[in-house]
Amino acid sequence: MLRVNICKRPFSSRIYTSTLSIKLFEVLCTHCRGLRVQPMAQGPAGVMPPFPSLSAVLIDLSGTLHIEDTVVPGAVEALKRLREVIPCVKFVTNTTKESKRVLFERLIQLGFSIDQSEIFTSLTAARSLVERKELRPHLMLEPEALEDFQGIPTDNPNALVVGLAPSLFSYEPLNQAFRLLLHGGTLIGIHKARYYKRKDGLALGPGPFVTALEYATGVTAEVVGKPESSFFLSALKELDVKPENAIMIGDDVKDDVLGAQKAGLIGALVKTGKYRHGDVDRFGEKPNYVFEDFPQAVEFIMLNMSNTQPS
Amino acid sequence: MRLSMEKIKGFLLDITGVLYESGSDGGKAIEGSVAAVQRLRDNGYAVRFVSNESQTTREGIMNKLKKHGFQMIKEEIFTPCPAVLKIVRERDLRPFLIVHPDVLPDFEGIGTSNPNCVILGDAVGDFTYENLNKAFRILVGQEKPLLYSLGKGKFYRENDHLTLDVGPFTAALEYACGAEATVVGKPNPEFFLTAVRDLNLQPNEVVMVGDDIESDVGGAQACGIKGILVRTGKYRPENEQHLIKPFAVVNNLAAAVDFVCRL
Repeated sequence: MLRVNICKRPFSSRIYTSTLSIKLFEVLCTHCRGLRVQPMAQGPAGVMPPFPSLSAVLIDLSGTLHIEDTVVPGAVEALKRLREVIPCVKFVTNTTKESKRVLFERLIQLGFSIDQSEIFTSLTAARSLVERKELRPHLMLEPEALEDFQGIPTDNPNALVVGLAPSLFSYEPLNQAFRLLLHGGTLIGIHKARYYKRKDGLALGPGPFVTALEYATGVTAEVVGKPESSFFLSALKELDVKPENAIMIGDDVKDDVLGAQKAGLIGALVKTGKYRHGDVDRFGEKPNYVFEDFPQAVEFIMLNMSNTQPS
Repeated sequence: MRLSMEKIKGFLLDITGVLYESGSDGGKAIEGSVAAVQRLRDNGYAVRFVSNESQTTREGIMNKLKKHGFQMIKEEIFTPCPAVLKIVRERDLRPFLIVHPDVLPDFEGIGTSNPNCVILGDAVGDFTYENLNKAFRILVGQEKPLLYSLGKGKFYRENDHLTLDVGPFTAALEYACGAEATVVGKPNPEFFLTAVRDLNLQPNEVVMVGDDIESDVGGAQACGIKGILVRTGKYRPENEQHLIKPFAVVNNLAAAVDFVCRL
């Protein structure tokens, strides 16, 4: 175990009980503007797990870099600074509705400087699975998402890809999908989110409908999006980086943070977007790191990267 | 094999896939079934019909079966709708209904404004995203989501196609809310036992004949009733490799009656 070296200056530390009534260890650096880090599920108080030498950062989009059409304050500059120390960055997101191009254009519009090839989505992961297995999928996807499957043969289908497709989640289309699976089709779920936030309230995600088809047929879906380990590992494979040298930053404690930790990455939760009071404690296992927002996470990474780790 | 056989005194018969195959044209009786039911009655066996049918009222089911030549009275038919209505009245619930329009008359007089539970039946075309979403929003707002499922069958055969039953939609809402539905109907033991009590018999004196290995055979055997699987309706050959081992697997209802009569 190493003591985290926030910076070379002396720092004070204390244990306090948060409003969640869980004990958190707070490191208060007297030097760098009171940067506050709230660790640590594991390790005794006062000791943080060793911070690895990072080669890659995976970053969630919605809720972490922006919330709808609003940039998280400081996120554009923070990303620029991050790139100076860690050039390998991937933007990883569970989308089943929007193609890479649509996501890319939105991020550019918001002022982020990124390359389209840096975006890795659950649709990307589904496509690579379909290609690897040479499947001919029936695509249960909304038209906007079909773009990411251009060139994939879909005639005489032997597989079913299910994304978020409200217009197809009704009796007859589901029956067709069900029959395809009964005839031996492979079931691929883009992700299994229970619900998502719509302007008029919560709405059912693809998860319930993947579950419905699994229940009807006894077929188990291969799920490709977050929080599946395969998702994070595929994204890292494109960068040729090992999981232990990567950190995942996101606002969804289960899909982003705990999923990444299960795959061997460092997980960092940010308290923006869909973060709700109590999330840190919700699932038993806790995030490796919790930050107020994306800029604070970047600041922490940069300080750790620029300081030699004590051995 | 002889020991308990002579004690069989009553039959519980599934309807769809055992008495007749459903279809948009009213379906057709399965060969030999009309005579088989008559033979049971002639031989002094007590008979009840236990079905998870939630597309039609009991009157509707009876009338349909009479057209195919079956003899029965409404009171011999056990379906989930009357059972769930009993619960709704006892607990003074205000359900949001996703059910087939043909069973709505059963729910007349039940308050449905400001709903505090969801009832899911075999709604067929009424299984829409918007309807399921409304149900989800009610359930997700409840501390302990109250979801009633009229049976939880996976699929059934209609017009030579296998077609989704209510179960997958129940499973969808269960997954979405992280809650478990209360199944009213097969395979809930209480549902079988209500019919057995009506026969005035003990479970081990009764045989259940059905085409669903889990809901009919598994459900019945879990409460001490012998389950016979027929190779009609939704039957698929892999059912014979299922962990649930039926008392017998026979070609159809007529063969099931033969089998029990010869014991």
